[in-house]
Amino acid sequence: MLGLFGTLNLGTRALQTQQLGVEVAGQNLANVNNPAYARQKVLLQSAPTLPSLIGPQGTGVEAVAIRHMRSAILDSQVQNEQSVGGFWTAQQNALQTAQANLGEQLDRLAQGLNGSSAVAEAGTVSGLAGELSGLFNAFRAVAAAPHSLPERQVLLAQAQTLSARFNQIARRFDQLTDQLNTGLGRDVATVNQLLADIARLNDQIVNAELPLGGIANDLRDTRQQKLEELSRYLAIQTALAPNGTVSVSVNGITLVADRNVLDTIETYDPSNGRLLLRTANGSAPLQPTSGSLAGTIEVRDTTLAGLRGDLDTLASQIIAQINAVHRTGYSLTGETGADFFTGTDAITMAVSSDLAADPARVQAAGRAGAPGDNTVALALAQLADQPVAALGNRTFQDYYSQMVAQLGLGLRNANGQLADHQLVLNLLHRQRDALGGVSLDEEMTDLIRYQKAYEASARLIVTLDEMLETVLSLKR
Amino acid sequence: MRVTGNAFAQSLLQQIHLLTSRQYRLQNQVATGQRIQNPEDDPAAMQRALGLQAETATLQQYRANLDTLKERAQVTFDALKALKRVSDRATELATLADGTRSRDELRIYAAEVTQLIHQAVQILNQKHRGAHLFGGTRTDQPPFVLTADTDGRVTSVTYQGNADVALTPIDQGVTFGLDIPGANLTGAGPRGLVSDTRTNADLFAHLIALQDRLLAGDTNAIAQTVRPALLQDEENLLYHIGNQGALQTRIETAISLADKRLLALDQAVSREVDADLADTLVRLNQTQYAYQAALQSGAGILRLSLLDFLR
Repeated sequence: MLGLFGTLNLGTRALQTQQLGVEVAGQNLANVNNPAYARQKVLLQSAPTLPSLIGPQGTGVEAVAIRHMRSAILDSQVQNEQSVGGFWTAQQNALQTAQANLGEQLDRLAQGLNGSSAVAEAGTVSGLAGELSGLFNAFRAVAAAPHSLPERQVLLAQAQTLSARFNQIARRFDQLTDQLNTGLGRDVATVNQLLADIARLNDQIVNAELPLGGIANDLRDTRQQKLEELSRYLAIQTALAPNGTVSVSVNGITLVADRNVLDTIETYDPSNGRLLLRTANGSAPLQPTSGSLAGTIEVRDTTLAGLRGDLDTLASQIIAQINAVHRTGYSLTGETGADFFTGTDAITMAVSSDLAADPARVQAAGRAGAPGDNTVALALAQLADQPVAALGNRTFQDYYSQMVAQLGLGLRNANGQLADHQLVLNLLHRQRDALGGVSLDEEMTDLIRYQKAYEASARLIVTLDEMLETVLSLKR
Repeated sequence: MRVTGNAFAQSLLQQIHLLTSRQYRLQNQVATGQRIQNPEDDPAAMQRALGLQAETATLQQYRANLDTLKERAQVTFDALKALKRVSDRATELATLADGTRSRDELRIYAAEVTQLIHQAVQILNQKHRGAHLFGGTRTDQPPFVLTADTDGRVTSVTYQGNADVALTPIDQGVTFGLDIPGANLTGAGPRGLVSDTRTNADLFAHLIALQDRLLAGDTNAIAQTVRPALLQDEENLLYHIGNQGALQTRIETAISLADKRLLALDQAVSREVDADLADTLVRLNQTQYAYQAALQSGAGILRLSLLDFLR
């Protein structure tokens, strides 16, 4: 038998336990909008029994722990998915910029059937495709009126627009590469900061858990948030140590272990202007497979570098092919052997300054002293339809269209992957929320449950008080 | 599955985001009338559309070249008709100048022939848009140079052009030679307009001969050699007039063909690029309804919680 005082103790413990329940419900309610938070629960257990004549007798209730509702599997899945999201978001951003840089848009409303629409100034031609066919059409116009200066002037203006467009697009692509490099540097700094944060949180968790035991729920929540943030930049592997710390490694290289940052990452220039990653202490090259750093490096070195190279190939072939034919021609003033374009690639391409200054010097004729001869202008116009071996036996226009389509495909792929990623991430978030999300209704119900239990326990104490009084009044 | 209030709000937000972005895309399609604007929308269709647009632009240039040719063909044809009138009158004068005419009459005829030669040179030396029409590809100087003696008698008309003809591109791989060189003494290539070694035509030589014979009163020679030669020249001229007529028809045919192809190309681009307006509008309406419904139902549910029913 517990006796009156024993039961009074039971009542006190029950009061404390119910109060703890109210406190935890309050903590949950307070953190309802904290995304890093996982709901906590008081684990109750019957207090140790006492032997009695009629068998072991209960001594009430006690709280054994406050647990947060987390699944390590879900957490690691979210972490991986964050890396996937970072990877494709980086690609999508870069490719979207590249698409805008290329400026190839279809605008059918601005274009009439015969190209003579009144709204032509609204931007009929945007991008290289229009300028490219414009150049060859200008050659065709010169072929139709080889003696005429206005046609030649139009031709030169068109050629200047085309080369300016090439220069501009190439410059924009180079700028984009620079911007991506700068972004890498910035992200690496963030990653190192996060590594430091995680090591610091490891330290705090050990300090909080070691003396009294138990689990530092809130610190662990914050650390998980940092890990997920880090995963967005870099695909990491994590392992939980028995002392509650988490080690972080990338491709087998440990960056954080126990309470210390063992290594940080840094960018370096492999002498081609395209920054790569390595560890700061060991200088070991780091090739992350996922995360925004990997996405940025991959899109910069494959799709964008490919496009930039193709742009140079196209420009150099246009320059070479047109010059080769143009040199054989004769100008209205009798010169021959001059180049039409100067420069060798997309960034240096320009119309020969001699020609730009004097349209009569366009070498359209196949023989001297015959201003009406258009043999060379015709041959130049026909270049548009001829497959070029250096362009994979495609015409200039086809080659460029394919470039545009390739960029489009890359971006479309990134869009699709990102949409998939969003679906998976949403699902994981829902699952995690089902486990650890705070529900207002639930907490309110808990609040009422604990409140009622508290009232009942208080009633027990009042009853015991009355009983004690009764006992005391026996002896007057 | 346990659904918390926040999960509910979050999923509502995602649904609204999705519906908004769909509305944005559909509205964009309705406003522009296009299914595709950027390469990412449909890379393959974009590639085809770029090809078709380049083809359209090229065809428009060919169409412009045809217009240029058509105009030049008109001018050339008018010149040929004028030249034919000169030739007709010369033949007529050669016929009139028989033995019954007095020397004075023949001298008057001779003066008229001299004028006819001047007129023919003037016709053949005419320029169109800054270029001489009948000098082959030597368009920068008058093709025919007339020399006369002190009495005003034409002594020679020499050709300083060449026998080349510029070929104008009018379609992929198709060129069109419209011009007629004033003379072709090479025995190959396009037939000369007033003189050609293959047909023995030499209008100016024969007109000068007529002028000289008329002045000399040699009606016999006129009847026996000059008149037949002039008739041969006329034959040559008729050949060119007939040929020009055929070329004009060819230009007209090519123009109407180009117009039809432009229309077909536009339809092809439309098939690749344009949005089906009816379909897009219906889908836009559906999305709008869904958006409204999501907002309305979501707002209703979000407002309520257990708190509203506790005292």
